[in-house]
Amino acid sequence: MNNIFAIAREEARLWLRSRLALGALLVFALLLTATSWMTANRMSHELAHRAGQQALAEETFLAQPDRHPHRMVHYGHYVFRAPPPLSIIDPGVDSVTGQSIFLEGHRQNTAMFADAGAGANLGGFEELTAALAYQLFVPLLLIAIGHGLVIREREENTLAPLLAQGVSGTALCAGKWLALAGVALALLLPLVVLAVAAVPASGEGLAGAGLVSLYALYLLIWCGLIVLVSTAVRSRALALGVLALCWLGAALIVPRMAVESASSAMPTPGKLQTDLRMQADLREVGDGHNAGAPQFRQLQANLLAQYEVDRVEDLPVNFRGVVAEVAEADLTEVMNRYAEERMALESRQARFAEAFGWLSPVVAVSSGSRALAGTDLATHHRFLREAEAVRFDFVQGLNRVHVEQLTYTDDINRSIDEASQRATRMSAENWNVLDEFAFQPASVDERFAHASAPFAMLLAWLLLLGGGGLVAAKRLRP
Amino acid sequence: MLAARSLSVERSGRKVVRDVSFNIQAGEVHALLGGNGAGKSTTLLTFLGFLQPSSGSVEVRGLEVNGNVEAARRAIAYLPEAASLYGHLNAFENLRYFLSLAGADTSRKELDAALDSVALQADARGMRMRTYSKGMRQKVAIALAILRNTPILLLDEPTSGLDPVAIDEFNRLVRDLAGAGRTILLVTHDVYGACHVADRIDLLQNGALVGAFERPAGMDRIDTEAVHAAFARHAGAIQ
Repeated sequence: MNNIFAIAREEARLWLRSRLALGALLVFALLLTATSWMTANRMSHELAHRAGQQALAEETFLAQPDRHPHRMVHYGHYVFRAPPPLSIIDPGVDSVTGQSIFLEGHRQNTAMFADAGAGANLGGFEELTAALAYQLFVPLLLIAIGHGLVIREREENTLAPLLAQGVSGTALCAGKWLALAGVALALLLPLVVLAVAAVPASGEGLAGAGLVSLYALYLLIWCGLIVLVSTAVRSRALALGVLALCWLGAALIVPRMAVESASSAMPTPGKLQTDLRMQADLREVGDGHNAGAPQFRQLQANLLAQYEVDRVEDLPVNFRGVVAEVAEADLTEVMNRYAEERMALESRQARFAEAFGWLSPVVAVSSGSRALAGTDLATHHRFLREAEAVRFDFVQGLNRVHVEQLTYTDDINRSIDEASQRATRMSAENWNVLDEFAFQPASVDERFAHASAPFAMLLAWLLLLGGGGLVAAKRLRP
Repeated sequence: MLAARSLSVERSGRKVVRDVSFNIQAGEVHALLGGNGAGKSTTLLTFLGFLQPSSGSVEVRGLEVNGNVEAARRAIAYLPEAASLYGHLNAFENLRYFLSLAGADTSRKELDAALDSVALQADARGMRMRTYSKGMRQKVAIALAILRNTPILLLDEPTSGLDPVAIDEFNRLVRDLAGAGRTILLVTHDVYGACHVADRIDLLQNGALVGAFERPAGMDRIDTEAVHAAFARHAGAIQ
């Protein structure tokens, strides 16, 4: 054990005395610090901005004057998805999904994905985030400074003296891995600072610790791969080439394959195609603005029979309001069915793409990172469902005002003159049917449950590389 | 102390050591002499477990190396042919590091004494080894082998890169170490050096032992002319 630490210390001394290694370390430390700061700054700004916009939207809705309740249904309302505290590390799908939805009657203005394949999007280069820097660039630094860890000893004829001192190949490789792991863990400092900064806001230290652990595990995997390759190949140039190929495959090719495969295996119908199908189904439901539509004849007959009257004017409720209420419920059922189908497909695509984490630790860490940060697709879907619940509640609340407080006669005569129109204006106090919307991150348990598969993948990677490294180390000869 | 028994070794499918046997007693200096590719270094590396015999065996202190590699390496100080230590460290740092790996705790005084014994200039000892000449690096490597304080020394072309004065000093040092009870297996193609320090010389050619010479009782060296002639006869050229 002492030898392992001695070898690790010696490697650290070499890096500290090497201007190139030290320079690269400093540049990356600066890059990570700057990226972390920028991500945190941007997401904090987003959080404040969206919270402000949410409050303004609610204030504006409630400040509307007395009106016909159905005008308020169409006036609509906005809801904003507040980014969770840990999004300062990984904004996740925030940039590829909408962050706000306009809620109005008879429509679900879902924040749709930009393209058919984006349901399985694993993030890209659109913006450099702290998560992306750790997922893609830190492994590059580790490769740059670590590819020669063991092979250098062979090339510079120091391997024989080392082994001749009684140091086993296993101890030598373990020491080298420990040195590289020390650098990797030191580079996690900006991430730890961000996680600690996010914790007071969320009270979710466990999720923050989980996120840091996930990245630590991920970087230790790269350390293992680097030491394994450096032990197994016969030249430093070859080690660098092999590791560069591994990085290309893991960081660029497999994630792209994951997205493409998910899209091909489970193609998402285009938005236009889906909208046309849905519009056809909605037409079956009937237009809630037209109380005389054939779809509502049975409803009218039932109401007349229920209240034992012959004319809708004699009903104790506003028939137009009832039609609006029933139509909204029916429309919503159809729209929800389509929305759930779409979300189920997107979730299946995302799970399919996530399974590529068995082929690339980059895919695994990015899935786990988004899950723990609360910025994954599941969170976005929850936002859509919660937003829809708010929409349905406030629309139906206004429809209830329409049904109960506005008479049918006043309603149908509202266009006769100014006085008739005034009679249909309901008190603005009724706009209080709007619930306050505050989107909350998923519970820590839920996030850990979503991150369990990526954690398992990363552990499998670590064990696999550890086993491979052990075999290579035992066979190490000068 | 060291023994090779019908040792054969293959490298890349080619037999480079063929049925070599010898036995080295404690306090003896034994030289394996031969031209390039004769199988000298290969034979030496099997004692460290760096190479496996394809047949036969090697023993260190009565234990077969195969299966007892750790014990064998603990008993051996090894000076490789291309003695390389770390260029970013000075002589003291190198010695301390490598000795710490061997579990040896050595004082600055002992380090200085060892570096004195190999005649490394005092003002060079604090300089990083990347600034050293080949000979200076060789001296530090020799000092490391001495400081290991093991009963056995394996020296692969130890005088390579040393100036004539340093070679004489080194040869004296080897005799002193043997006199102190250390067992030394020396691999060289330097006929004159081998004759001056060795108690016994085995001549290797194409991986096989082709001749053996012993220092006659009462003589301070083996007959150089006889070894030279045998070497020339078998190798076809003097290295």
